[in-house]
Formats: sequence, structure tokens, C-alpha cells
Amino acid sequence: MAYAVKAWNDFKNYQTGCYRDYLYATEGLRVMGSTWSVLAPLKGLGDDIHLIGGEPHAASTAGTLPDESRENIIAAESAGLGFHSCSYLKLFTGEVIRDKIGITDGTIKEGYPKPDLIWTTHLCNQHSKWYQEVSRRLGGIPMFAVDMIGGGNAEKDSKIVNYVSNQIELGIDWLQRVTGREYSDELFAKAVRNEIKVLVLWGNICALNRHAPAPLDERRLIALFPPAVVDRTTDESVRLYETLFEEVKQMVATGQSVAPDQRFRIVYFGIAHTYGHPEMARILRDVGAEIVASVYTFGTCGNFKGIVNGKWSWDPIDPKWVDELDLSTRRKAIEELAKIVLGWPTWQGVRSYWALESMAQAMIDEYHADGLLLAPSRSCETDFRNGYVGLQRIFKSKIPTIEYDTDQVDVRQMDLPGAQRKTELFVHLMEARKRRSA
Amino acid sequence: MAKKGSDTIIERFRSVIENPQGYAKSLHEQGKLVAGYMCTHVPEEILYAAGIVPVRILSPHVSQAMTRSYIHETYCSFSHDCAYQGLSHNYDFLDLITTSSSCIHMGEAFNVWVRFAGFAGKSYLIPYPHIIETKPAASFMKESYGEFKKFLEGFVKKPITDEEIEKAIKVYNHTRRLLKRLWELLRRENPPITGPDVATATLASQFMDKLEFNKLLEKFLKGLEAAPGKGKPGVRLMVSGGACDDIEILDLLEHLDYAVNLIFIDSCTATRYFWFEIPEGRADKLTAIAEGYISRIPCPSKDNVPGTGEKKRLRYVQQFIEEFKPEGIVFLYQRFCSPQPHDIVALRPILDKLGVPSIDLELDSTVPVTQFRTQLEAFLEILKPVVPLE
Repeated sequence: MAYAVKAWNDFKNYQTGCYRDYLYATEGLRVMGSTWSVLAPLKGLGDDIHLIGGEPHAASTAGTLPDESRENIIAAESAGLGFHSCSYLKLFTGEVIRDKIGITDGTIKEGYPKPDLIWTTHLCNQHSKWYQEVSRRLGGIPMFAVDMIGGGNAEKDSKIVNYVSNQIELGIDWLQRVTGREYSDELFAKAVRNEIKVLVLWGNICALNRHAPAPLDERRLIALFPPAVVDRTTDESVRLYETLFEEVKQMVATGQSVAPDQRFRIVYFGIAHTYGHPEMARILRDVGAEIVASVYTFGTCGNFKGIVNGKWSWDPIDPKWVDELDLSTRRKAIEELAKIVLGWPTWQGVRSYWALESMAQAMIDEYHADGLLLAPSRSCETDFRNGYVGLQRIFKSKIPTIEYDTDQVDVRQMDLPGAQRKTELFVHLMEARKRRSA
Repeated sequence: MAKKGSDTIIERFRSVIENPQGYAKSLHEQGKLVAGYMCTHVPEEILYAAGIVPVRILSPHVSQAMTRSYIHETYCSFSHDCAYQGLSHNYDFLDLITTSSSCIHMGEAFNVWVRFAGFAGKSYLIPYPHIIETKPAASFMKESYGEFKKFLEGFVKKPITDEEIEKAIKVYNHTRRLLKRLWELLRRENPPITGPDVATATLASQFMDKLEFNKLLEKFLKGLEAAPGKGKPGVRLMVSGGACDDIEILDLLEHLDYAVNLIFIDSCTATRYFWFEIPEGRADKLTAIAEGYISRIPCPSKDNVPGTGEKKRLRYVQQFIEEFKPEGIVFLYQRFCSPQPHDIVALRPILDKLGVPSIDLELDSTVPVTQFRTQLEAFLEILKPVVPLE
């Protein structure tokens, strides 16, 4: 029987609580930006920082309010922001253009709550561009973007770690100047430890999917990582992931899974698209094929050992390591934070085809995959959409592999019948391979 | 009738941009080391100091489908075309291919060369900031350039001295100054040279050995600076956008049914390539190079002033409008390049204030000449009362 995750509601409530705080806070600071940034520096300003992050907010709005989402995307396109631009970007900026915002509990608020500042990151060509546009549209919101130059084994390259750390250090000075607040290094260090802890815990939870049956499926993975993305700096977020880790360990110990029928194990590279198209997941589910590992759900806000001796490893990091980190000075805390964030697998692959290939090979091997599903997002440059084309060429002779286009939150951009047909063929390929090796 | 010296020189530039691989191959056959580079953020001076001639990889302007199975269709056609140059083995003779971590699209074009076109053993990626205005960018670039220099020293099997770098900086700065003088001619009400010819010379500079190019351009300028206007002054148009190495579209601008003068091109294949200088005579050569490249007109994908989120490039565009006095702007950019339309949205209120109208044209693998012609002529008719050419 399918297992129901007990921590589910707590996760949903945490996410919604963060968004409600942003919408309705009467005190504190509203901060906007990519939550794919280092977040702890903001928390040195106090406990009253209310975050809204472009990617998770756009993703959850698409799932909760599909009609509003479509209007938001159209509004951004009509404003000239490029029909081919990132659909997260269009949805998020579209809300600002339409001056209304919707959140995960179904609330739609007229009047976009203006942020006090924008704290974000820059990696692909577009990442900080949408916040520049939002800043401009809202009358010049102060904005600081950290250039998270990455790729390959960036967290082990002292040149890159120093560069990113130097920027964060300047960013903290800027935060003090622009808010006029005293900065607490104690609060900052605490937030850094929480941030790193959540990232490491999520990596450990994902790694439990190596077991058969894998305890979590892609749908649950997509739903359970948002708190790590929305705000991973709080004590509450650490508690959530510690609880979930214990629960999933118990699932493994008792052989339980949220989707116990797992004839085929799939490794997936692509941004989550199945929430927009549940029919795609259904094709797989009906034949007992489950996505047990994906670089997006694992690696967007999760850390693993990464490149070890020239090869990628999806081995998790021992959570105790986090407790022992020396965060006694601001610089030390910044460097540890820079290293962990630079180590995110999704970033390693963006600028490095060899890391991408190495992490795909490792995921296929370590998760005993029967097939590789590649679903590049048409509008996302960081979704390795070109790397995926290369991966198909490399892996198609090794393992059943298919590729079809998606577009994260823009359901208009997908060739659904074509993708369904490819998925059916994918299942046949996996079936044939299994028969051959039997 | 014998051709004027200036005509011969512009024909030479045109022949280079029509067959850049032929030009690069001729250098190779002369025994020179030749490196392809894919982005103008590559510090060519370091290559040149190592005795390597940098040759920019640009589009071959052929209709091709080969790259569709290597690069996703939603990458810009410019990146596809540059990837094609590798896959079609047009540049197999190159000693090295290099790029800096620039936009993702061009990064992937580079990856195609490395992964699938046989350049795995002769390639180098220079880590480069994605935001050039951050304070720590210069020290990061210096370190990165240091690693590149070390790699090149191993490649050419000799140390690269400070004197050699200084010499290369001077050669390159000389190119930049000459090109600036050439572009300044377009500020005149009736320029002695056409915009497409200026663009041709600028493109040629990105392929040619700079010493050879400088000699030709010096001679070219000598004749031009005292020359009268080339014809009847037309509507002054400025182009702003991304990489555009297709002279056909620039020629089209000056061959409409109305008289037009193309007087400025803000793109990385035109003025953004050279509108800066590297400080000379500095003790620390690599820092000097870093400072020079930071002072460039920013590429839209790297432009974000920390603290304000300002786009520095917009200031330059405004400055060029004030200096070159265009009557209209043609935004010309690659389809699927997202930073460009973002900049345009932010530029429009500035243009409105300055009273300069604009039109957007998106570039793809082929130039839709007929549609562009109709749109441009309609734009000219909106701009001012124009009289058709006889």
C-alpha cells in the first residue's frame, strides 16, 4: 500500500506561512530575490525578514493558480520581456505588472506588496535581469546581485570561493547601509548553520531513494523541497527536514514507499514539469515506472559530495559535519556558505558539460536506473537544455533515453501528444531492455 | 579605371570577412599559431603576447540544420552558427579554441567544439565574471588571466614576459584608437564613408592580425579624413543590440527606398568590441587588462551595478545618441537572447525622453530581407517626412 508522508502538512504550512508573511507583514523587511541565492546574510539584519523568491513562488503559483499564472505570463510577454524568456521570470514579473499576487493557499491579493530591497544572484544570462526589471518598474528598489560564478567543482576552487565570498562580504555592508540596521553576526552565523544544515539534510533524504523501492517519488520530491528553497535559514526549516529525514529512514527500514509499484527506476534531468502535466506522470505510474532521482529536485537546494577524485558522487554529506563547522567569524561563515551554495549540483552543470555528464553517469549507476528521461525546459538556460541534447547522444547507446521539451510553468509551450508518445516508447524500450537482460 | 587606395583597402576588409577561415588558414600556413575565440571578453592581448594570432569565430551565414542535434533550438542562431563552424570542420587547422565564461548560449557553442568537434585537447575556457561591475571582479579576472597565461606558456613552451604583454596592449590599443577615429567619421552630417563599410572594417579587425590590420586602417583613414561626404545625407539611424556580423542587414539599411545613413552600431561585433582601452605602462599587466575589460560597454548579460541594479550600458547608449544624433534606433538582436529585450524595455523610457523613436528587428539564421525592408521603410515614414530616392 502506498505510504502517506506524515510531515506533508507541516511542509505545506511552512511554505504558505512564509508567503503570507510577505504579503501581510506590518513590521520587518520585505525582501525579494532569487531564493537560489545565499539567504543567511539577510538574517543578520534580524528575525523579521520576509522573503519572496522568484522561482519557488512562480512554481507554486503555477500549481495553485493556473489561470492567474497564464495571465501573468501573457502580461510579461505583452510588456516586451521576450516570449522566449524564462517562464518563472515571466510569471513572477507578470504579477508585478498586473499589480496582484497569488500564493499557495489560493489567496489573490490586489496590490503587489513592494519589497524593501532585492537580494539576489546572477548565473545565467537572465537570472538577475528580471529583478532589475522589477526594481525599475517599482520605482528603483535597491538591489544587490551576487555573481555566483560556478561550474564543475567551483566550491573546491579557491579563486571562485574568494570571489563569491568577497561579494557577499560587500553585500553585507550594503545591507547595513541600505536598511540602516545594526548587523548581528550571531544571527548571521546561526542562519548560515541552519541554511547549510537544511541543504545537507535534503541531500541525505534524497540519497535514501537509492533503496528499492525508493521511498519517495518525483511528485513528493517536488513538493517536499520548497521549504528548503523558500527559506532554509530558520530553526523551523531545520526541524522540518530533521523530522522528514527520520520518517524516510523509517520508510526504508520497513520497505515502504509513496509509490510501491516500481518496475522501472528512472533518472530524470529537467525542471519539474509534471505538476503542470499530471498526465505525463500518469503514463509512467500506470506501468510502474517511477522517477527515483532527478538533478532538479536533488540538486537545486541539496548538497552531496560532488566531485571526488575527478568523478561525481551523489553520496550524502554527514549532517554532523555541519555541527562542527567553524563559523566563529563573519568571513569564516561567509566562506562556508559560499562553498555549500557553489556546490549545488544544478549550478555545477550549468557551466560545465563534463560535470553534467559525470553527474548523469553517477546518478544512473548509483540509483540503478532503467532509463534516462531528459526534459529540457525551453525557456531555461540553466536547465542544461543544451547539455541534455549532448547527454542524449552520449547515453542513448548505454541506457534507454528519451528527450522531450517542456517549459516549467508555461504549459502552452509543450507538445503534449508528442511527449506522451515518446514516453510510451520510452517504457517499451525499458521493457525490452529488461527482457534482454533477464 | 584604377581603383582608389581606399576602395582597395575596403575590398581587402570585405574579402577577409567573407572568408575568415581562409584568412586564418593563410596565417597558419605562414607558420603562425592561430587561436579561435568565441567572445569579446577573451583578453586577446595575452594570446598576442604569446605569439598567437586570435581570430574571432563568427557565423558562416549558411542555412544549416546540423547543429540542431547538438544545441537546443531555443539557443540563438548566432551560437548555432558558431557551433557549426566547429562541427563542419571549417577551422580544424586552429591551434587552439578559447572563450571566456560569457553568455550561456555562446558557452554551449564552445562546448560543442570541445565535446563533438575534436577540440577537447586544444581548448581553454577562461573563467570570467558574470557581473562585471562588482568590486571583486578585477582581482578575480587577474587571477583567471594568470591561469590562462600559465596555460599559454605551457602551450607555446616559453614564458610570456611583461614586455611582450605591454607590446600587445599597445598594438591593440592602437587598433581601438584607429577604429574610434573611423567611427567618429560617421558623426558628420554627411559622412565620407558608409556605415556598412565602417562595420566591415570593424569585423575585419576581429579576424586579422592586428599589426597588418592597423597598417591598412591607418592608410585607409589618411584618405578618408579629408574626404568629402559620400552622398546626399539621409535619415540618421543607429543600431543597438547583440551580435550581428551579417553585413547584408546593415547594407539593407542603407539601400532602402529612402536615403539612410547608418551612423552607429552598439553591438559586440561593432563598437562594443573596441570602445575601451587597456591602461598602458602599468607595472601589473594583468590587472591593467582586467581594468580595461571592465571599462567596456557592458554586454547586457553581465550588466548589473551592485546596490542599485542599474544597467550601465544604458548610459552609454544615451551618450552615443547625444553624440551621434540618430533620428531613429533600430534594435537588432538575436531571437532567443533574453537580456536584449530586457534592456530594450528599460531603454524605451529613456528614448521617449530624448524623443528618439525605435523599432525592433529579431535576427534568426537567415535575414528576412523583404519583411525587414517593409518594416524599416514604414519606420522611416513615421520618423519624418521622407522623400523616396529617385
